[in-house]
Amino acid sequence: MMAWRRENTGDMAAFERIMSQCERRVLGVALRLLNNPQDAQDAAQEVFLRLYKHLGNLDETRGYEPWLYRVTVNVCRDIARVRRRSVGLEEMPERRLGPVAPQPDAYQDAERAQQREIVRRALSCLGEKERAALVLRDVEGLSTREVAAILGSSENTVRSQICSARLKLRDFTGRLLRRR
Amino acid sequence: MSCSKFETDIALYAGGDLTAGQIARVESHLAECAQCRALAEELRAGQALLGELRDEPLEDAMVAQVRRRALAEVGRADFNPRGSLAPLLALAAAILLAVVLLWPRHPANHAPVARMEPGVALPDATPVPRVNITPARHRIVRRHRRSAPAAQPGPPLLVQFVTDDPNVVIYWLIDRKPEGD
Repeated sequence: MMAWRRENTGDMAAFERIMSQCERRVLGVALRLLNNPQDAQDAAQEVFLRLYKHLGNLDETRGYEPWLYRVTVNVCRDIARVRRRSVGLEEMPERRLGPVAPQPDAYQDAERAQQREIVRRALSCLGEKERAALVLRDVEGLSTREVAAILGSSENTVRSQICSARLKLRDFTGRLLRRR
Repeated sequence: MSCSKFETDIALYAGGDLTAGQIARVESHLAECAQCRALAEELRAGQALLGELRDEPLEDAMVAQVRRRALAEVGRADFNPRGSLAPLLALAAAILLAVVLLWPRHPANHAPVARMEPGVALPDATPVPRVNITPARHRIVRRHRRSAPAAQPGPPLLVQFVTDDPNVVIYWLIDRKPEGD
């Protein structure tokens, strides 16, 4: 917290420090919400510009992660609405992933990667709110209360959204697996 | 309770979103329902895959590009950290325009009201209308010849109403009857 207080001066050094700490997380969330690498990069850039603008106004006692998540969700929602991207399967960011550490069982590893790919595609089939709730809760591992605060919803609403999203995801993945 | 009613609870159970009492109730049902056990297993598997998504490494070039673009934007000389002033300027202009358009130009009705009171004579016995203009200030300009030839109609009497509004000046031209009629 002291580090954040020192950084909360709006200078470029603090901005760069926070950005380097959070850039992968912000970009990852944007990628899963938008399902398009270019849009995700645009969203992440916008998030960091907003961070720079509000650096001096952020509540240091609450940290900046919830704020970053909230802004990321909002920016992604705005971009998705403006661009009306269809969630095409061919737009998945497969080639944008970094190298995976070698595993002893390459076949098993490939199969697991394929399953993750299917889950990613299934995620993109969810509605905007359900996807945001599920990404924050099940991918980012935030608590229901934190997700509710970020999305500006009640905990019951978030619980209902993630419940519905999990069941839909299970149906989608089942369908995609059967198709293969 | 039928299995369909457990579906919601099982979805929450798979993600660890139930209270201890609810967990006990779901587990009691799972112990005796193979179909719901399969559902719970599938949901747990999905949860595990979702969790793995977070650990997937992003391409370094992609991250670096975002950083480079953000820093370039922030470092631009004209980047305003408090945001663009355009909305504020537009708001100020709108307020100014509204004030100019709606501001009362005169506190009250500026149209002059003239009223003739017969029988009031000027010192030269020429009948001159007495004019009251309310509420604005007024000034009456009288132009007439004192020595008109006998039996000739005098020149017309010009009454000028000057109101507070410089754009509103009322001229009243009155024909005079020949003297001796």
